[in-house]
Amino acid sequence: MDLTRRHLMTSAFTLGAMHAFPGLSHAQARRLVFSTFTGSWEEAHKDVLVPAFRKATDNAEITLDPLLSMDQIAKVKASPANPPIDVMLHDPGPALVAIDQGLVEPFPFASSPHYKDLIADAQGEMGPAPFFQVVGITYNPEKMKTLPTSWADIWKPEFKGRVGITNLNSTLGTGWLVEIARSRGGSEANVDAGFKALEELKSNLGAVAANPGALATLYQQGQVDIGPGNFNAIQILKARGVPVEFVAPKEGAIAFRTTIHIVKNSPNKELAAKLIDAALSPEVQGKLMEAPYLIVPTNTKVKMSGEIAKVLAKDHDDMKKKFVFQDWKKINEQRAGWIEKFNRDIKI
Amino acid sequence: MIGCDVSIDYPHLANPSFCAMQTTAPAITTYDLKLTLPLAAFFVVFFLSPLAILLYVSLHTDAAMTAHGLTQYGKFLLDPFSLGVLGRTLWVGVQVTALCLLLGLPLAWVYVRLTGGLQTVLMVVILLPLLTSVVVRTFAWIVILGRQGIVNSTLAALGVIDAPLRLLYTEGGMVVALAQVQMPLMVLPLITALSRLDPNLLDASAALGAGHWRTFRRVVLPLILPGVIAGCLLTYAASITAFITQTLVGGGQLLFMPMYIYQQASTLSNWPFAAAISIIFLAAVLAVVSLFNVLGRLSKGYAHA
Repeated sequence: MDLTRRHLMTSAFTLGAMHAFPGLSHAQARRLVFSTFTGSWEEAHKDVLVPAFRKATDNAEITLDPLLSMDQIAKVKASPANPPIDVMLHDPGPALVAIDQGLVEPFPFASSPHYKDLIADAQGEMGPAPFFQVVGITYNPEKMKTLPTSWADIWKPEFKGRVGITNLNSTLGTGWLVEIARSRGGSEANVDAGFKALEELKSNLGAVAANPGALATLYQQGQVDIGPGNFNAIQILKARGVPVEFVAPKEGAIAFRTTIHIVKNSPNKELAAKLIDAALSPEVQGKLMEAPYLIVPTNTKVKMSGEIAKVLAKDHDDMKKKFVFQDWKKINEQRAGWIEKFNRDIKI
Repeated sequence: MIGCDVSIDYPHLANPSFCAMQTTAPAITTYDLKLTLPLAAFFVVFFLSPLAILLYVSLHTDAAMTAHGLTQYGKFLLDPFSLGVLGRTLWVGVQVTALCLLLGLPLAWVYVRLTGGLQTVLMVVILLPLLTSVVVRTFAWIVILGRQGIVNSTLAALGVIDAPLRLLYTEGGMVVALAQVQMPLMVLPLITALSRLDPNLLDASAALGAGHWRTFRRVVLPLILPGVIAGCLLTYAASITAFITQTLVGGGQLLFMPMYIYQQASTLSNWPFAAAISIIFLAAVLAVVSLFNVLGRLSKGYAHA
């Protein structure tokens, strides 16, 4: 081959393009791509789920593409016929959006050895829940005279300027608003009571964070001392030595089904089903339940232990009693209006 | 060649080599333009076409994108709340730019006066924000502005305040944080402009009886005005679109355009409305930028006056 300028340039451009768009080189057959959530979820899945999957599939290749739910949807929506993701992980709201838009296909549960062992709330044809996310009261124990036990404690006058919440962009913020509405006679279809409660909370509100991650930071900085919080986000702070505790309120902790889905038109459907099955297995869920992951299991074969048994539920029957599940189909119908109302009305 | 006969006005230019240059000049120009083709192609593919798609998406009446119409624009432009968000965003940009200019001009002035090692040290300090991630810089501001942060604990120790002030998640706190984050964009053009300033001009002005203020206003300012305008333009554009800093220091309840777009696009999957907001925001920013450009053109007249 002549080493001409033209050749060199062509090679350089090709190499550059391949580097910039790795998808170019293996558009046909590619390895399985799993979009998990960012941060601690990615770490947990890399440490536990990926090795279990590779063991079960004779070392099949897998890539993690950590993205927020809505970003996963955007990425799949951009090329639905040739999706860059095979398996998606979703909060309840986005999961319904993905199903409604026809981006996912049913999970072949009949051929799954573990699906039948899931508690009823975790089953679902369009995608089962390998774990739950749980929202309860987060508080700084060093700043409390009496420890909180109920959502109503957040409205106590002693917490003037000390309460932190998120806006309704997050599942946490919206789910909490619905729960507050329900505790005051409202429902998923009517959250007026929740907005009224927020109005009454204004003098206590110290901060409205943009997302759950930013909210967690505020406890670390001593900016706020009490508010609704995600069990797993709090465990990360606790592990870093921040004085913060989580308690399931007596009204019940809010549980979000986090569901895992096979993307429609995925070229790796069989491997995708195997990955999901691994995520449902008692071995993986049992390991993820232990520290430092502390991820709430949905498989009834997993015996609850440690922090989760202590703080949340001692077994799956206890879980059914203590967890509150919400109807996100109803919530999604009106969420846009609530966000608009929150934008306009909540000023502190 | 007609144009080559310059010997009448400029006899010293009338030589053969100059004429040869004249004839080859157009060829050089075309060659130059060809070199920009890769960049032009890059812009068409990665900037113009996404922009066209954005415009197309914004022209749908519903979130599922089934019908065409201008309703999304109407929804925004006829809604006082949405216009308020746009106005507040543009106003934040003005505040940040003004603060950057106020603090950046003396800094650039000091830099130009310094010599040797000190100048290098100051340059590192000025550039340091550019070398750290925006997220890290912004988190530092959360530590500074928090209830137990540096500002509040200092004020409390001095006995100025009894209870901690609310600084984080306020517009004031956010403006200060944005000003620090964007400061290099203001200072660097100012330094370039100031170092081109001939110091003899200042001496001349003083010798002719002008005071410091008058020298600054009549001599320095007109000459560095292009630098000032460049700095303002960069700072303004960067601060109104600074999603990360606006979100982390401004919080979830001060709504600005970037967050508004994100909310509609990502949380609510309402792409047409998000696209329409983006186009309106783009138009508003372009209007402000053109205003800066007009000022720039006027300033040239001012400088030569």
